[in-house]
Amino acid sequence: MAEIQLRNVNKRWGSFVGVDNFNLTIADKEFLVLLGPSGCGKTTTMRMIAGLEDITEGEIAIDGKVINNLDPKDRDVAMVFQSYALYPNMNVYENIRFPLRVRGVDASTHDERVRRASRMVELDDFLHRKPAELSGGQRQRVALARAIVREPNVFLMDEPLSNLDAKLRVSTRAQIKNLSHELAVTTIYVTHDQIEAMTLADRVVVMQKGIVQQVGSPTEIYDKPANAFVASFIGNPAMNLIDGEMRGGVFETQRTRVEGLRAPDGKVTLGFRAEDASIAEDGNGQITAPIYTLELLGDATMVSVRIGQALVAVKADKSFRAEIDDTVSISVPADICHVFDTDTGKRLSA
Amino acid sequence: MASKAQKRPLALQIVLFVTLVVWMIAAAFPFFWTLWGSFKVEADFFSLNNWTNALTGRMTEIETGDTFTTQGYYGAWVQEEFWRAAWNSTLVCLFVVSISLTFGTLGGYALARSTYRYAFWFLLIALIFRAMPPITLVSGYLPVFFDWNIWGYLPTAIIVLVAINQPFTLWMLHSFFKNIPQDLDESAMVDGCTRFQAFRYVIIPVMWPGVITTGLFSFLLAYNDFAVTAMILDKQNQTMVPKIASFLGTTQTKGNVMFAVAAVVSTTAPLFLLIMFFQRQIVSGLTAGAVKG
Repeated sequence: MAEIQLRNVNKRWGSFVGVDNFNLTIADKEFLVLLGPSGCGKTTTMRMIAGLEDITEGEIAIDGKVINNLDPKDRDVAMVFQSYALYPNMNVYENIRFPLRVRGVDASTHDERVRRASRMVELDDFLHRKPAELSGGQRQRVALARAIVREPNVFLMDEPLSNLDAKLRVSTRAQIKNLSHELAVTTIYVTHDQIEAMTLADRVVVMQKGIVQQVGSPTEIYDKPANAFVASFIGNPAMNLIDGEMRGGVFETQRTRVEGLRAPDGKVTLGFRAEDASIAEDGNGQITAPIYTLELLGDATMVSVRIGQALVAVKADKSFRAEIDDTVSISVPADICHVFDTDTGKRLSA
Repeated sequence: MASKAQKRPLALQIVLFVTLVVWMIAAAFPFFWTLWGSFKVEADFFSLNNWTNALTGRMTEIETGDTFTTQGYYGAWVQEEFWRAAWNSTLVCLFVVSISLTFGTLGGYALARSTYRYAFWFLLIALIFRAMPPITLVSGYLPVFFDWNIWGYLPTAIIVLVAINQPFTLWMLHSFFKNIPQDLDESAMVDGCTRFQAFRYVIIPVMWPGVITTGLFSFLLAYNDFAVTAMILDKQNQTMVPKIASFLGTTQTKGNVMFAVAAVVSTTAPLFLLIMFFQRQIVSGLTAGAVKG
């Protein structure tokens, strides 16, 4: 059982604000992902929960007990570091066993627990090796095993996949997902990779410049971004954002005219996803512009046009072919559109 | 077989080899000359009419009946009680190294992990202190030591040597600690260590090359020191280096140069053994700070 509460948590270094007024209750057994670009305060938030960073203001409580002044070792959390932080002088077995040893866990249970943890991450054959003799993926799994061996209340993972190559990242991601399902422990996972967030999370917290932008399930965040920043951060490719004028439910800017929108008049930013839009074969699309670039993805063809400063991408059928500078018409019906306030970035459409 | 591309031209190989041999002879010659000469009598080693006497040992044969003699060693070690100086040196080195390393590792670690600006200024002041010639400090503490009646004793010399050495050990260990990622301490602390346990179980084992290198330099400072030990220690408590100097005599007393030569060899030999024994750690320690691993 571990419910984590963050109440008005702030982190400041002098006048620099690292985390601004963070409020959140993380349910027991929830897999929460903190997502944002580098320097957004996500790692700082996690480090405050781990006890590696002082809390300037506010409270963090685990199961109702305020832990602000507890040492990291007394918080019953386990953490996987981005650099893995394996102890280079110990072999894999000793690395995994270390938390049990320093916490004075009954020595007769060590061997069984270490072997169970190493089996879960498929490291049985490497127990005698030193970290320097392991590949990146294996090191990462040692760090995971060291975190799970103690069966802590809370798991913290700080970008655990960012040092792996793309292929390994996908398989390790699946492994983490499976592991968290099996262990059913409250997990906080920090990443800047929105795909990791979408695939792993029960709930995602999107942060920017120390401020929480949106909290929600991956679907909510994907389908209903709270502001233009979240829209531009989630999805691959990110949501297309076009600045323009809204008048009487009609959005207009160069080469673009979308009717039937429900939003107040004024300067707005129109957003839609590449996979929601399509090429209008009949030429009656809402955007008509010359092709800027054409990318073959295998399962689809990505067509991009330029509207003002913005690059607008549309996912077309994989058999779609055209030349650069050919004029293309893109269908952007009102029901796939999101409208944001250009100045504040806030969502205007329902 | 080495491939052709790796092979150097013969001429270059010869030049390299000759240069190396010449350099080795030039570097090692003084030591071997002293070692050889330490088994001769003064009339040979410092012969005025024929320098080859030092090689052949003509006068040594006339004086002692053999071309080699251990008179110098006997005189220094037994007659002049050089063993006492050797023992004193051992004590001084042992305590200087252990005290410097204790404070150095703890302080260096604290400074390396400190997030405060003063850590930098602290180190800078330490560096300035280290840059001063040790002899300039003597005038400062000598009257005080006389006042307190602690002049002449080994612990006094140890304290002064530690004080002179500490800025260096702090700097050196600080930079070694800086190179150990902070993630390691933090990981250990989340795993259940106190700050000190993290230092003891995780950081120090990784630090061994740095500790050994720094310890060795501290040892050399204490072992080779003349300025402080010659000023502070009385005759009973002299360490080896000032003792050698005293063998050379003063304007009032006649010394025995051959005792000094034998003592020099006795003092240098342990250093050779030490460096040979620790050379791997020294090299890895010196380079570990230089390149980021």
